[in-house]
Formats: sequence, structure tokens, C-alpha cells
Amino acid sequence: MQRLIIETRDLVKTFEGGLVRALNGVSLEVLEGQFVAIMGPSGCGKSTLLYILGGLDEPTSGEVTVDGIDLCSARNLDAFRVRKVGFVFQMHNLIPVLTACENVQIPMMELKLSNTERSEKAANLLTMVGLKERLDFVPTKLSGGERQRVAIARALANDPKILLADEPTGNLDSASGQEIIQTFRKLNKEGRTIVLVTHDKNMAEQAGIIYHMKDGKIQGEI
Amino acid sequence: MRFLMLIFKNILRRKTRSAFTVLGISIGIATIIALGALMNGMTASMEDILKSGEADFSIAQSGIADLSFSRIEENITGEIQNLNGVKKVAGVLIGIYPIGSNPYVMIWGVKSEDLQMLGVNVLNGSAFASEHELILGEAISKDLGKTVGNKLVLREEEFNITGIYQTGAIYQDRGLAMSLDKLQELEKKEGYVTVIYVELEEGTSLETVCGQIEEGFPDLVTIKSASELGKVDQGLEIMDAVSLAVSILAIFIGGIGVTNTMMMSIFERTREIGVLRAVGWKKRRVMTMILRESILLCVFSVLIGSLLGVIGVRLLMLEPTIRGILEPLFTIETFARAFAVAFAVGLVGGLYPAYRASKLSPSVALRYE
Repeated sequence: MQRLIIETRDLVKTFEGGLVRALNGVSLEVLEGQFVAIMGPSGCGKSTLLYILGGLDEPTSGEVTVDGIDLCSARNLDAFRVRKVGFVFQMHNLIPVLTACENVQIPMMELKLSNTERSEKAANLLTMVGLKERLDFVPTKLSGGERQRVAIARALANDPKILLADEPTGNLDSASGQEIIQTFRKLNKEGRTIVLVTHDKNMAEQAGIIYHMKDGKIQGEI
Repeated sequence: MRFLMLIFKNILRRKTRSAFTVLGISIGIATIIALGALMNGMTASMEDILKSGEADFSIAQSGIADLSFSRIEENITGEIQNLNGVKKVAGVLIGIYPIGSNPYVMIWGVKSEDLQMLGVNVLNGSAFASEHELILGEAISKDLGKTVGNKLVLREEEFNITGIYQTGAIYQDRGLAMSLDKLQELEKKEGYVTVIYVELEEGTSLETVCGQIEEGFPDLVTIKSASELGKVDQGLEIMDAVSLAVSILAIFIGGIGVTNTMMMSIFERTREIGVLRAVGWKKRRVMTMILRESILLCVFSVLIGSLLGVIGVRLLMLEPTIRGILEPLFTIETFARAFAVAFAVGLVGGLYPAYRASKLSPSVALRYE
């Protein structure tokens, strides 16, 4: 039986002293190994939910537990982010002066790995996402799809159980977008839990479960 | 990739901005190096003057701002000679005259029998024997193109050059020596000397004799080491104060420059810092990265600034007037001081930006446009 890896109860997140209510009682359950897509229009709270699941933000109220860790009471969210989750953003957010291989090594700097170990691991990850020939390329020398694949390799750097992706194909053409989604499917088949936030229906349909979100609430499974 | 490599690459992102920041701090560092070298040179020269040859210490008038103002009655030399443990005493009158292109040539009025005690080594010819004879320092002899047998005019009086000497000290070797009586006449200081040099018998306590002199002659002051030069030359103390003030200014101005550069860098990299925090970087690592970038900028500055300082001083020495009175002395301490200042600039200037960067909320930073 698959175990529950992400669980939220009545999550509320407000901004500007309560004037803006980004999340309005979100309850969500994700089992280990699931590929979940959260769909919804811009401003419905998808990214806010993802940031809370990834320990980047704290909820105003409610409960959130990820891989057994209660994020509302966890003291060291840095350690949680290093080990438990990997992020892929809409913009690749790669460091422009570093090569693909160096960018992938960035999260590994918090682990006790030698320079050689980091380098080898980064090369393996880039090979896995199909960029074996692009290890020493800086982001400006890579296509949009290739940059996003480097970002995926970076998200996998510390071998997290969960991948959180925020509109990962939002800035890509459809062919590159398809490549990225196939990469996610492959990672999911290997056992990784994926939570994907998107407003693109075609992309969401690649996931096993699709939730629809509106006005800070999950409306239901599609 | 090593952490240091990331820091190095971050600095090189905005090459022009980094270069101007480095240049700004380098100028401060160059000033510290140049002032330090010149002051070291002046201190060494003063020490040479006050601890000439075999003398163990020297005596000057107390309460003076500059050694050239010192005025001691010549007959005091006899009284000091009679003190227990004193082997030899030499009274010297020092005058400053413009000769050739150098407006500050030091002329020593000294009895010829005291020359050896003062470390004057006559290389060529012989010491002066009459009032219208003098000996030239090796360096001024070359500068003026004059040697033994030539003549030199001072205050409209003609002097025969009887010898060329060397002491190894810049002031003396760029100066000349003549009889004490003649210089007293030229300077209208009959019966007075500027400095008294004292050589002690072996085993005599330097402190005891100096104490006796300062007690017995309240108008006089003894100088035993370089640290006591301030007693007779406030110029050195002023230079030291100026050097310290420049260092503080360099820290302040350089610090503001570094802070500005690093703050701009952080604003430009806000999203990136958000990503670093998102992938698990601790606040401390972000802070360390920014601080090290700031310190690395200053390390580059100290390298370039030191080079500029050395080149600047060498260029200054091309000017004959300056070359005649100053011999720069570059010491490890001067460079260490410059390095310490640069490190302080990097640390002080980078502290606030590093703190700000570490305090960035990852979610806010990631939403930053």
C-alpha cells in the first residue's frame, strides 16, 4: 500500500495583513510515487501552495506534513529542502556564469561531498536528462528546453523523493515542453513523487491525478 | 566546482563595475603603501642621523619640533665627556643648504678627528684639514660631477674638495662635511652644535648614562632608538598620524564603495538568491558567499594597490629634489598594514549586504521581478 507523502489540512495563506487570501482552506493528500497536477488560472494560489509544500513559505494557518515532517513546527527548513524536495521553476533560474555541470552542483554544496564526487554526480544527472554533450555549456549557449532540463537535473541533485514543478513549460515552445513532460513521466516511473502546477491542460493531462484549483481552494479532482 | 570558484565567477559577472570598485580601493591602498614607504624611509634616515657610526646614542635640545632647530652649547660636550662610562663625545652642527638641483643638502660641521666615530669613511683623498676644505658624500659627488681637487662655492666662499666619503646613510652621503668652526661661522652659530653623539665604554649601562644626562641637563633629550625619534621630530609623528588617517579614510570610503557594489549585485541577483535558498542553501552560506565576494574584491585591490603604490613612489623618486632627501623603504609591515586595511574594507563593506542577502525570504526572492 502506498504511503501518504504529502498531506495538508485547511491550509490558509494570507498576504498584506489578511487583505489578500491566496489559500483559503486547502486540504490535499498525495501518495508516494504519484504524479499530481494542480491546474488553475493565474492567481488562484497554485504557486503559493507549492512554496508551502516545499518549505519556502509558511502557512498562516492549517497543517502541512511532507514525508513525515510537520513543516509548521520544523526548525530547520533548509535541511528539509536539501534532502526532501527538488524545485523546478517556470524560469530556469540557472546561474548565468556557471556551466550546466556547475549549476547542477549548486545544491550539493550543502552536502559533504568532494569536488570530484559533486562533478561526477552532476555529469550523471545531466546525462540522464539527455545533456551529456552539454556539460560545459553556459546557459546562454543552451536552448530553452535544454536549460529547463539542466534545472531538472539541479532539482534532482540531492536525490529528493519529491519534485515540485511550478509551470516548468510556461516559457517553452510545445516541442520543448513535450520533452520536459516526458522527462517528468520518466522520473515518476522511477518512483519519484511529482507535484506539478500548471494552467496548461495538455500538460496536466500527462499526470495521473489532476486537481482543479480556484480562488485559493481545491475544487476537486478532474 | 569549488565554492571559491563560484565566488570568483560572481565577481567577474560585472567586470566594469568590479574593476572600478577595485580601482577605487586600490588608490587608497596605493596611498597607504606610498606614505608608509616614505615614512619608513624618513624614519630610517633620521635614525641614521641620530645613531651615526660608533655612537650609542645622541643628544639634542628638548621640546623642538624638528632636529634642525636644536641648539646646544658646545661646551656641554666637555661636561658629558666627563661622565662615568662615556668613552667619546662628538658635537656636530647641521646646516641645510641648496646645492645644485637639491635645495636640502645637509652639511655637517664636525671636527675632523670625530669623523671616524661618526662612521664617515673617506674613500678617496683625505679629510679636511683647514677651514676652506670640505669632503663630499659619495652620492652628491656623483650628482654634482665633482671630485677631489675640484672646488665648491658655499655662501660666496670657495672650498677645496679634499675627499669623497661614504657612510651608507642617505642624508650623509647626499651631504658634505666641513670643519665645525667654519660651519658655525657660516651659520652664525658660534659656540653651538645641533647634536651631540656619545659613545660609551663597553659594559656601561645606556639607560643610566641617558638618565644622568636628562636629569643633569633638563634642556636636553637623549635618543637611544628609532622609537624615540618623535622627541626631536614631530614631522614623523604627523606623518604617522596622516598615514593612520588615510587608512581610516580608505576603510570608510572603500567600505561605502564595496557596500554599494555588493548591494547592487544583490538586487540584481535577488531571484538567484531565492533559488539558492530554495535548493537548501543555509542563510549562513549565502552570507559567506557575499562576504567572500566582498573580501575577494579587496584582495584584488590590495594586489593592484600595492603595485600602484610601488610604481608611484618610484616615479616620485625620479624628481631630484625628492630623491635628495628621501629614500623610500618598503617593509613587510607596510604591506601587512595595507592588507589589513583591505581586509577590513571587504569585511565592513560586505557585512550589511551579506546580512541583507541572508535575510531574504526565499518565497519573496523568487517572486522578485
